Amino acid sequence: MGLDENRGTRQMKRGGSQITRYRLVLSAVASIMGLMAGLNGSAVTWAQHEHTTPAAAPAIGAQAADFELKLLDGKSVRLEQLRGKPVVINFFASWCDPCRDEMPLINEIATGGDKGGYQVIGIAVEDTRAAVLQFSEEAKLAFPIGLDLNSIVKRAYRIFGPPATFFIDAQGTVRDIVLGPVTRERVRQGLKKSGVL
Amino acid sequence: MKPRRSTVCLRIFTKFWLFSIALGSVIPAQAAGSGPLSFNAEVQLGRRSNNPSTPFLRLAPDERLFAVWTEDDKRTAPPIEETAAVHQHQAKMKMMPSPMRVALLASSADGGRTWTRPRQVNAAVEAIEGEEGGPRLALGKNNQAYVVWSVPNEKGDKTRANIRFAMEDGKGGFTPGRTLNEIKDTARFPIIETMPDDSLLIGWIDRRVDNPTPRSLYLKRLSAKGEQLTSSYKVGDGLCECCRLGIAFADAGKTVYMADRQVSEQQIRNHALRKSTDGGKTFGQPVEISDDGWQVSACPHSGPTIGRDGRGYLHVTWFTLGHSEKEAGIYYSVSKDGGQHFAPRQLVQANTAPEILHTTLAVAADGTVYLAWENLDEQNRAQIFTRSLAPDGQTWSPIQQISHSTANATRPMLALSKKRLHVAWTETEGETSWVSMRTAALDK
Repeated sequence: MGLDENRGTRQMKRGGSQITRYRLVLSAVASIMGLMAGLNGSAVTWAQHEHTTPAAAPAIGAQAADFELKLLDGKSVRLEQLRGKPVVINFFASWCDPCRDEMPLINEIATGGDKGGYQVIGIAVEDTRAAVLQFSEEAKLAFPIGLDLNSIVKRAYRIFGPPATFFIDAQGTVRDIVLGPVTRERVRQGLKKSGVL
Repeated sequence: MKPRRSTVCLRIFTKFWLFSIALGSVIPAQAAGSGPLSFNAEVQLGRRSNNPSTPFLRLAPDERLFAVWTEDDKRTAPPIEETAAVHQHQAKMKMMPSPMRVALLASSADGGRTWTRPRQVNAAVEAIEGEEGGPRLALGKNNQAYVVWSVPNEKGDKTRANIRFAMEDGKGGFTPGRTLNEIKDTARFPIIETMPDDSLLIGWIDRRVDNPTPRSLYLKRLSAKGEQLTSSYKVGDGLCECCRLGIAFADAGKTVYMADRQVSEQQIRNHALRKSTDGGKTFGQPVEISDDGWQVSACPHSGPTIGRDGRGYLHVTWFTLGHSEKEAGIYYSVSKDGGQHFAPRQLVQANTAPEILHTTLAVAADGTVYLAWENLDEQNRAQIFTRSLAPDGQTWSPIQQISHSTANATRPMLALSKKRLHVAWTETEGETSWVSMRTAALDK
């Protein structure tokens, strides 16, 4: 090792030492401030103001999250078991105005499911079995309805308020998402993207 | 060249000073007396086997705490046969759950520790709406209870509902429920308040004009005896169809403030405040509380709460997603000029997961604001959280989680006396629900 190298090393060490000392001082200052803030609770407040990074939303082109739900009739439905044909998932609630408004259209697509080779599933969110059953009777819903009573599927699909409709192809890939009420044209597009039309 | 020791010290001091400023700008100061509250153990309201839900709390003039909530109506025995089999997927049902619910009322004279035997408010068998549109309660000067609730139309459609009203009959029961909205199947999300003159102000979201979609705000006045003082009358338009209303009074009832979630043509759902200076007869133009920019054509099902303190400040809390999910959370703002302007919103707590949250507040005379809301915990279960804001408007207490639900605790309601803060909420797990309540003694 040459002199310059030694010097360089020494300078680096000195510089490193200065940086380290500097960092130590700052850390100590920050720690003291943090401690002071923590003692009176502000640190908690600060931390709790932070926004956490949300989990990835179910995106078009991504695999649809699998779920298993109890149906109104007591049976169960699992999304993966429907693999092999396109699936339309409609999130709704009996108390939701736009859900009720769009339900005749959802019902209409559901009745065409056998002929079209696809399946429509309703998922009731923030609701009770009794209320959903009554709604189902009243609206003569012609598709199986899963009860997401603990909001697990709703959260997995990141539903910020019903209605929402997901179009999934036969391989289980999300091909279209409609947050809010669907229109006939959007349904046509969604079905087409999921390989129905 | 080696810097001089004094230079290094100066640099460190400068960095420290700048760092302190930066840190200070993001850490709100904490004043004495704004620490966490000490809540007692949970008390449950209602009969657990009847799935209680949707509590609403009120303090009577005599300081008794009243609660109203709903439970399954056991008078409607479920049919045994397959009456519900309207299509192949519901065939072979052996038992049909009933949507019928009763509203129950009880009171506590010891700060929520023990409760009177619940009394049934509604005599009729009806599917009382819960959640965002649950029953509301007001108490007259003589501690008489008045209750409003919403029932779906004859087909069971909750979105085409009717507002029902009953009051204590002086004989230990309630008067028969009667419908308040004159136009059938048009009213939801009722609120009721006792005016300072002991008359009753009842409001709801109305859909008698069904197109365009945004709803109208209607009010109606009743006397303390329940007699009709006015027909229902419109005081506002452009309301979101599924979010509850907020209301507060000032000037011995001459001034009425109402807050609602608006919906624009672009489906942006900001909140607005309406002010009446003639006791609720007419209202001025709505003032936007915060330009959150949440554009959503779905149902938030989450309305605002407002309260007024002894200084005349108006305090508001609400949920919004804002312009993106990164802004989602519970927010708060204050107006110090009687609702003409609102301070920039403050984030009370950010969403921890994708979920529409529900928030409420109660305001002490000195300006201390108590908030309660739900958010998701680390296990993705909804829990109830509280915190308070000191009268200086800047000093927040730490956030406290006060529920420990194994499934979901939602929709907190508050009641505030000089001595105590009461928080009630609904817990749901699968097809069961129950109502929990906790009380904190205030050391003021």
